[in-house]
Amino acid sequence: MATLGGVVGGCQSGASVAVDITVPRPLVEQRRASVGVYFEDALTTYAHVEDLDDQGAYEIDIGASQAPVFAQVFDALFADVILMEPEAVAAAPAGEPEEQTPTAAPTPFRPADGGEAEVLGVLAPMIEEVQFATPRQTGNDFFEVWVRYQMRLFDTDGALRDEWQLIGYGKAAEQNYIDQSEAINAAATWALRDAAAMLAFELHDKTKGAALQQRDAP
Amino acid sequence: MTIRFPALVKAKIAGVVGALACAAAIGGCGVQSTVQQMRQAPTNLGDDAIVILSRKHKTQGETEDKFVACVSEEVNTGQGAVAVLTEREFVDATFPWFEPRTAPINMDDLVKVLNRPLVAGRIREIGVRYLVWIEGATQRSDQSGTLQCTVVTGGIPACFGFLSWENGANYEASIWDVREGTTVGMLSSEASGTSFVPAVVVPLPFIARVRRKACTTLADQLKEFLEPA
Repeated sequence: MATLGGVVGGCQSGASVAVDITVPRPLVEQRRASVGVYFEDALTTYAHVEDLDDQGAYEIDIGASQAPVFAQVFDALFADVILMEPEAVAAAPAGEPEEQTPTAAPTPFRPADGGEAEVLGVLAPMIEEVQFATPRQTGNDFFEVWVRYQMRLFDTDGALRDEWQLIGYGKAAEQNYIDQSEAINAAATWALRDAAAMLAFELHDKTKGAALQQRDAP
Repeated sequence: MTIRFPALVKAKIAGVVGALACAAAIGGCGVQSTVQQMRQAPTNLGDDAIVILSRKHKTQGETEDKFVACVSEEVNTGQGAVAVLTEREFVDATFPWFEPRTAPINMDDLVKVLNRPLVAGRIREIGVRYLVWIEGATQRSDQSGTLQCTVVTGGIPACFGFLSWENGANYEASIWDVREGTTVGMLSSEASGTSFVPAVVVPLPFIARVRRKACTTLADQLKEFLEPA
């Protein structure tokens, strides 16, 4: 029986999961501030693909959850949250390639709905790296997922005013799940939730986004 | 195809017979359990609810979700049932203050969190009076024997041998009063037992349900602690 269990466990090879979640609205005091947010395509379509020796290919698609998760945090923290996009995109005729990296050269932002808005800055999260680990790799009981973000704060003219790192970590005990896809999904879900929690703390306690704080007039 | 009995299996036949006799005699494997209680303050639940939470910041020995769910269900049903909010409902309602990396780990931290009007107000709103933090796990040890399975004529699997192991369940519950910002007591539940699987063609498992036993004894103790007669 033990031998059979080992064989069955050894047959697990790779997994493909699509994480599609949001997070609860953070319980924080809202600031009377208007901010812009920009979710680039590289963020909203992000998928981590990795081939592990002896364990097969893994794909963790977390792109679809990015905008809902960040929007939930920003909406709780700021009175007005305006979805922005680089002017290059807004001005580009249909079919033209989209500007993906506003850090490459300052590109002014404008409201995505084409209207007018005065915002203190534009928050633009970017995923720098995703890592994951299986119990077979680490020898512990958990599937683990780390997501490393670079949080960027731009002026509406596209100049980078501040940036900081945000790390989300999630783990899921193997014993609580029927298969590894379910466990990896849970670990990735906890990682996104952890990132949202950390971001809410950092912006609420004004430990990050210093440029935004300076202009946060009552 | 010829079935070959491993030498070890032959040597274990006596053990198998003994185990079956044991199982027949005691209706499975005996589980010994112990509960302990330390009260630091009186409790007064009234119409409020409790929430049972597990610590998730450890790298090993994290409390099983099934155990927390079992205790929650047992406390919420039967004689002396107590209203229980699920762990998920509570952490969602108080997000992000009780997440794995942000949850208070001692009373000083809890008081700081409760000093935030939004958090205190939300906890009042959902009617939670006591937080029960559970730590511990069920672990398997001292395994002995072997079990070998093979495929005989006709593709039918057959297993031979004898396996046994010890299971130990050790859990602690720390009870916090969120209204007063104090620890009101601690409970512990321990259970141990031996499981065995004799197999002559068909494995016949006799599993010591130590986690289940630890769950029911802890739940009963918790109900008694919160609603003293």
